[in-house]
Amino acid sequence: MALDADVKAVIEWATKEALTFPVLIDKFHIVADLYGFVNVPAAIWVDENNKIVRPADGTPGSDLFRSFSHVDSEVHHNLLRSWVHNNVLDLNDSQVRDFQLPPSQELQDARLHRRIAIALRERGGVGDEIGSRKHLARAEELAPFDWTIRRGNMPLVGVDPFGDEFFKFVDGWSRAGRPGYRLGTGRETKPETI
Amino acid sequence: MATSSREFGEFAILVSDLEGATGWVLKPEGLCKGDICYPVRNAGELSDGVNIDLASFAKFTNQSIVFDRGYEVVALGDSAPTRAESMSSLDAPDFMLPDIYGKQVSFSDFNRRKRLLLAWSSW
Repeated sequence: MALDADVKAVIEWATKEALTFPVLIDKFHIVADLYGFVNVPAAIWVDENNKIVRPADGTPGSDLFRSFSHVDSEVHHNLLRSWVHNNVLDLNDSQVRDFQLPPSQELQDARLHRRIAIALRERGGVGDEIGSRKHLARAEELAPFDWTIRRGNMPLVGVDPFGDEFFKFVDGWSRAGRPGYRLGTGRETKPETI
Repeated sequence: MATSSREFGEFAILVSDLEGATGWVLKPEGLCKGDICYPVRNAGELSDGVNIDLASFAKFTNQSIVFDRGYEVVALGDSAPTRAESMSSLDAPDFMLPDIYGKQVSFSDFNRRKRLLLAWSSW
């Protein structure tokens, strides 16, 4: 599920290889809201009884950003294999709940402003782009540390999501104590080998 | 959801448009969706019989609302307490989204199986 407003960008990535699972587009961040995703890549595990058995958690596919995320991709992949093949879970229900970060009302309102911004962008009438940007800006004021909003907005306003603005955001977020989400449940990280 | 603002309340739509826009219906017993009904304490604040004020509607149904009268756009969603409750239930909420080919896919299409829901992006 891609948190992208533009289908083209998603298709470009999702058709590089033949995939055996559906790739969905969550342009209004409906599922991000429902499941509490505040950054990507992140995953939720749901069992056969429709129960969430692992909360929204950073799940890097590789160790490219290991020094930033402090999460080893291999540890996560092994945990996933254990669950899929052997039904072994490393978190119980109460640990899953403890790890969840329920949203603030400001974040919920920010998500609604963002939805209005996307709707206006698609409506494309006279002045709608101005209105769209106004609501994107309001969303960022309300949720200054939410990555799906701050970084997710960047391509919508012509800002490089890996450029100066992004690193300024990361810096501010780090200095604020990395608020809003956790990376790794603590069980995914091997000790630093440096 | 786009709508036209009318001279009632903060952001009004026609009562007859409520169900199509929100899934909720105004009945004598209150605001209802499926088996759930919320009583309406001040019916005059919610509706004048023709229009329904979505700001009051959000209040009575415990939803969050953001609207822009100038652009005639409104968004409704779950409030923080509602989301906190649904998350801690550990019951995986269903949803429907289009895939990259435009086909609508539901999370429940894969019921009774282990599911990995991965959030990613191009950015």
